[in-house]
Amino acid sequence: MAGLELVSDAGFRADGRRPDELRKVRARLGVLARADGSAYLEQGNTKVLAAVYGPHEVRGSRSKAPPDRALLCCRCSSAPFAGGGERRRRPPQGGGDRRSGERALLLRGVLEGAVLGQLYPRSQIDVHVQVLQADGGSWASVSAAGLALQDAGVALRGPVVAGSAGLAEPPAGPPVALSDLSAAEEAAGGPRLVVATVAGSGQLALCQLSARLHQERLRPVLDAAQAACRGLHAVLDGV
Amino acid sequence: MLRTEKVLQLRGQQGRAVRVVREHYLRPDVPCRSALCRSAQCRAACARDGKLLSDDVTHYVVPDCKVVQEYLEILEFPELKGIIFMHTACQAVQHQKGRRQYNKLRNLLKDPRHDCTVFANEFHQHCYLPREKGESMEKWQTRNIYNAAAWYHNHCLGQMPVVMVTEDEDAIRQYGNETEGVFVISFKNYLDNFWPDLKAAHELFDSIVQARRERESESQENHGKEYPEHLPVEILEAGIKSGRYLQGTLNVNKHRAQLEAFVRLQGFGSKNTELQSDILIYGTKARNRAIHGDVVVVELLPVHEWKGRTVALCENETEDKAPADTTGDPMPTGKVVGITQKNWRDYVVTFPSKEEIQSQGRNAQKVLVTPWDYRIPKIRISTQQAEALQEYRVVVRIDSWESTSLYPNGHFVRVLGRIGDLEGEIAAILVENSICAAPFSEIQMSEMPVSSPKNPWKVSPEEAKKRLDLRDSHLIFSIDPKGCEDVDDALSVRTLPNGNLELGVHIADVTHFVAANSYTDVEARARATTYYLADRRYDMLPAVLSADLCSLLSGVDRYAVSVLWELEKESLETLRVQYRRTLIRSAYKLEYETAQALLDGDTSVVGNILELQGLDEGTRQQKVAELVWAISKLTDIARHVRAKRDRCGALELEGIEIRVQLDDKRNIHDLIPKQPLEVHETVAECMILANHWVAKRISEDFPHQALLRQHPPPRQEFFTELRECASAKGFSIDTRSNKALAESLDRANDPLDPIVNKLLRSMATHAMSNALYFSTGSCPEEQFHHYGLALEKYTHFTSPIRRYADIVVHRLLMAATLRGTTGDVKDNITSNKDLEELCRHINNRNRAAQRAQKQSTELFQCMYFRDRSAESDERCVADGVIYSIRTNGVLVFVPRYGIKGAAYMKNKEGLVISCQGAGSCQWKPGSLHRSQHKITSTTATGDSVTLSLFDHITVRILVQSSRCHAERIKLEIIRNAPHHTADTEAAHRSSHGVRSDLVKEVSQSAEEAQRAQERARVEVMDEESQEFCQTKGPSLYQLLEEIRELALLDVTQDIRT
Repeated sequence: MAGLELVSDAGFRADGRRPDELRKVRARLGVLARADGSAYLEQGNTKVLAAVYGPHEVRGSRSKAPPDRALLCCRCSSAPFAGGGERRRRPPQGGGDRRSGERALLLRGVLEGAVLGQLYPRSQIDVHVQVLQADGGSWASVSAAGLALQDAGVALRGPVVAGSAGLAEPPAGPPVALSDLSAAEEAAGGPRLVVATVAGSGQLALCQLSARLHQERLRPVLDAAQAACRGLHAVLDGV
Repeated sequence: MLRTEKVLQLRGQQGRAVRVVREHYLRPDVPCRSALCRSAQCRAACARDGKLLSDDVTHYVVPDCKVVQEYLEILEFPELKGIIFMHTACQAVQHQKGRRQYNKLRNLLKDPRHDCTVFANEFHQHCYLPREKGESMEKWQTRNIYNAAAWYHNHCLGQMPVVMVTEDEDAIRQYGNETEGVFVISFKNYLDNFWPDLKAAHELFDSIVQARRERESESQENHGKEYPEHLPVEILEAGIKSGRYLQGTLNVNKHRAQLEAFVRLQGFGSKNTELQSDILIYGTKARNRAIHGDVVVVELLPVHEWKGRTVALCENETEDKAPADTTGDPMPTGKVVGITQKNWRDYVVTFPSKEEIQSQGRNAQKVLVTPWDYRIPKIRISTQQAEALQEYRVVVRIDSWESTSLYPNGHFVRVLGRIGDLEGEIAAILVENSICAAPFSEIQMSEMPVSSPKNPWKVSPEEAKKRLDLRDSHLIFSIDPKGCEDVDDALSVRTLPNGNLELGVHIADVTHFVAANSYTDVEARARATTYYLADRRYDMLPAVLSADLCSLLSGVDRYAVSVLWELEKESLETLRVQYRRTLIRSAYKLEYETAQALLDGDTSVVGNILELQGLDEGTRQQKVAELVWAISKLTDIARHVRAKRDRCGALELEGIEIRVQLDDKRNIHDLIPKQPLEVHETVAECMILANHWVAKRISEDFPHQALLRQHPPPRQEFFTELRECASAKGFSIDTRSNKALAESLDRANDPLDPIVNKLLRSMATHAMSNALYFSTGSCPEEQFHHYGLALEKYTHFTSPIRRYADIVVHRLLMAATLRGTTGDVKDNITSNKDLEELCRHINNRNRAAQRAQKQSTELFQCMYFRDRSAESDERCVADGVIYSIRTNGVLVFVPRYGIKGAAYMKNKEGLVISCQGAGSCQWKPGSLHRSQHKITSTTATGDSVTLSLFDHITVRILVQSSRCHAERIKLEIIRNAPHHTADTEAAHRSSHGVRSDLVKEVSQSAEEAQRAQERARVEVMDEESQEFCQTKGPSLYQLLEEIRELALLDVTQDIRT
C-alpha cells in the first residue's frame, strides 16, 4: 500500500481519527464462569478473550516450579477465524504456532514483572489468551491478560496495560506520532513501538520496537505510546 | 465520537476477493474552513491551520468525483473561487487517478493563493452516509457529496448558495430541486452560466471532453478490453450441437476488409437447412479477432440487427466510417464467439514509411505493419530495424491476439525483396499462397535415374518385356502449347484390322520413376502441383523427370500408361477399353497452332515441324497425309464425344486467360488473351474421355478408396446476378440444371456483340463452386457427379508430371489392373481416411496455385501498364464492356487485355462523371441514379449520361500504385462510346483468322449435318421430353439450329467489316 498516507493534510488518519486518538475500547470482566478470572477486551476491531486459572498447585513435573514464587504459564492462541494473517496455518493440536509461542513468551515476561509472584510460592497461575479477531495490536492480549488477572484477584503491582505508537512522515510537514496503530497502519510499514506499563505509573514492563527509528524521533513516539497506555488505563479503570 | 464499520471487498494478491472490515470513526468536530462559519467548535478546529474559504464569493462550488478526476485542470484556474473539495472526491482521485494527479490536487489545496479547501465529509457524523447494499461506488460517492454539500449550505446558515457540479445526469435530476440553495448542475452548464467569459476554461473543457471521447471509443465498455473473450471450447461444442452456434470458415471481403466478412457454413445439409446463405459478420468487433481463413463459431444476431452487404464500389484505402446507405437486402448477421481452428500462416507485410513511424509516436519499438493481403489486419511488430526494413517486403508471423489489444502481435521472420522489384513481388506472391518452391534436395536428386547428353537414359530390356510395345505399331504424337517442356500426354488413332478405330491416350508413366513414399514422392505430395506463374513455373517433380524422362518427347522411347479404346467404325461407340503399361515413341511434338493449321488443310506449316525436316519430298508428303488423317480423325471422335456430353448438359465455360509475352530481356512485351482453337478442344476432349474411363475403372475396383473429382451443382442463389444481367439483354437463363443452363447460355448470344456471351459464360463460371478431389469412401455415390462436364465419374489422370492427384490415380489404376496377377497391390493404395486428408491438401494447394497464377498475371498486367504513361500512350486506352452496375460505378471488362476492373462514376469528392458530345469525360457536381440495368449520372447543369449493361465504352487503363499492397489496375471512363482504334485492331486480327474461320465454318456445317443425323435418331426421345418440358419451339433441335445459324451469320458479318 505504497499510496496510503497515514495522516491526511486535514489531519485525519485513514479511519477518521486524529493522530493522538485511540480506537474505541470496550472491556468486560468475568465472561467465563469456570475460569478463576476472565476478561474480554475489544480495541477497535481487535477482540481478545483472556482466562486465568489459579493460583493452584503445580501440575506436572514439580521440579520445574521455582521454590520461592509462582509459576506463570502463558498460552496464546488465535481463533482460526480471527483473520489478519493469524489463520494462515492452523495451529497444531495442543500447541501454538511460532507466532503464538513468541507472544506467549512476551506475555510471560510482562506478567512476571507485574504479578507479585512471591506471594504464591510453589503454585501455578495459568493465563490463556485467545485472539478472536485480529486487527492490529496484538498487545491487546497483554491488556486483556492484565484485566483477567485482576478479575481473578491475583495480587499485582498495578494494572497492566499495553499500547502502541507509530510515526507518520507525510511528504510535507513534520512527522507525526500516531497512537494506537490499526492493522492497516501497521501494514504501511512504518516503525511500531509497543509499550506495556504497570500500575499506570509510567513504569515500562515491555518496550518493543519494530523497524528502525531515528533516536530523535523515539521520544515523541514513546510519549505517544505511553499516552496510549494511559488513555487505555483510564478507560479500563472504569470497567 | 461515533464508531462505525466499513466493509470492503478488496482483491487479494492472488486475485481472490477478500473481505476486509475497517473501522470508520465519525466526529462532530470536522472543520468547515469557511470564513462564514460562526460555530465555535468549527472555529477552534479551524484555528489550527490558517487557510480559510473566503466569504466574498457569489457561491461555493462542490465538484463531484468525476468532475475532479476529469476536469481538475479547469478547477485549477485561479479565477474559479470558493471550491470545496469533498474528502470523498479526493479519495476517488487518489485511488483511481494515481499519485501524480493526487499530488496536483494536494498542491492546489495547499496553495494559499487559490481559494479552495477540502472538507473531510466522510468523517463528519452528519455528512457520512454508509454505502447501501447493491449501490454502485459512483452513486454512493455522488450521494455522499451531495449530502455534504447540503450540510455545508445549512452549516453556513444558508448565507451562501452551494453549487454542486456533477456529470451524473441522474443525480442532476434527482437532487436538482431537493434542497433550496443547493444547485446541482453539469459542469458544462456551470461553466456556461457562471464563467461565460472564461474562454480558456471553455477551450480546455472542450479539448478534455474530446480526448475522453476518443479514449472511450478506443477502449469501449468492458474495462479496456477491445474484444469480448472467446467462449471455452466445451460451451462452443455444446452450442454447435444444439444448433445455437454455427461453425464455418471466415472469409473477409477483400474490398471492405474493415467491415465485412462472411462465414461459409461447414457441412451442407445439416439440420439447419433454412440458413442457405453465408453469415455476414459486420465490423471488427463482431469479428472478434478472427483472421481470414480461421474456422470460427458464430452466434446469429436477432433479425432486426441484420444488415445487408454493401453494393457500392469502394477502395480499401478510404476507411470511411460513414454509414453505408447503399446496402442490399438484410442477410443473416452474426458475431464470432469462438475460434475453433486458427489458420494463421506467414504474412507478407510492409513497414510504414518514415513519416508514418514518426506519427506513431512514443513507442517506436512497436511498429504497426500493413499486410500485403487486404484481408489481414495490421500486425504489431516489435523490432528495432523498422527503419532499415522500410523499403522491403517482409515476412512476419502472428504470435497472439489478446482481447485487450486492437491488433495482433507478431514477429519479424525474413526479408523477401525490395518493394516493386519483380523478384520481390513474385516471392511475396509465393509466400502469400504458402507456396514453398525451394530447389530439390540432394537426397531427392539421388533417387533420380541418370540421364545426361553423354550417357542418355535407356529403356531397360526387362522392363520392356513387361510392357506393351507400341513403338512400331502406333503413330503417336503430342499436341501442346508453344515452348512446352513437360509433355505428359500423347495421342494416337489407327484403324484396326477389323475396320474399327482404336483411339489411344498415352500418359507419361511417372509412377515408374517415383516410388510411393520415396523422398521425391513425399516432396511431390507436399507441393501437390506444379505452380505456373506468368513468367515461370515451379515444378512438382525434379527437372530430370518433368522435362526429360517422363516427358513424351518425339523420337525417344518412353514409358507410358495408355488407355486404348476400340471404337465402332461408324457410330464410334466404345466396344472395348484396355489400360496398359506401354512403351511408346512419340513421332511428332506438335504445337496447337500447327495442328490447327494441319487440320484446316494448311500445309504451309509443315516446314515448322522439326521431325519432318530433312526428309525427301515423297516421304514427307506421305507422313503429312498420315498425320493429317490422324488429327482429323481425332477431331471427329472428339466432336462425337463432345456432342454426347453436350446432350447430358455439359457446360462450355469461359475463363479469361492472358498470356504474357516476354522479350529476350524478360521485359514484358505484350499481353495477349489466349485464342481458343478447335484443336484445344480436341485434345481436351480426349483427355476428358481418358479421365472419365479411368475414373470408372478405379471406382469400380476400389469403391471406398478411389480418388475422384467432383463438381457439386452450384447453389441457385449465386445465379441471381447472371439472370439479371442476361435479362438486360433480353435473354432468359435457365439455371435449374446443367443442361438447361448450357442451352440457355448457347441461346444468349447477341449477334452484334460476341463478348456478351463470353461475359455471361464467365459469370456462370463465377457462380459455380470449384471442382474438388475427394475419396469415394467419404461421400455417397450420388455426389460423385461432375456438374460442369456432365459426367457421372471423373478424375484426373492425364497430367502426372504436374499434378499429384494424377500420380495417385496412376497408382490406383495400376493396382486395379494388376489385381489378381500379383499380390502386392497394397502399398499402392491408401486408406479412405488418408486419402481424404490427401485430397483436402491437394485441393488447398490447387487453390493456392490458381491464386498465385492470377496474382502473378495481375502483377504483370500492372507492370505492363506502369511503364506506359496513361495520358499519351495509345495502348492504355481500350474498349470496355460493362458487365455489372453498382451504385457508384460500373464493372468493366476489357477484352483486349482480358482485364476486369471497376470504373467509378462518382469520385471521392462526390463529383459525378459527365460526358461531352465530343467524348471526353469530366467530373462535375451532380448525382447518380441507379436502376436495375442502367446507371444515370446527372450533373448539376442538367447533362446526363446513361450507361447500361453491356454498353461499350472507352476506358483508360491506369495503375493504382500502393506501397503496402499489390498494385492494381484502375479504369477510368473516357468516352461512353466504343473505342474505335481497338475495334479496327480487332478487325485486323480477325482478318488474319479469316481463312481458318472459313474452314472452320465449313467443317462445322459438316459436323452439323452429322449431328443432325444423330439427332434424327434420338428425335423420338426429344419429342417425348418436349411434351414434359413444354418448350415453345417446334423442336429443340430446330431452335438450336436457328441459333447456330445466327452465330454463323455473326462471324461472316465480322469478316466483312
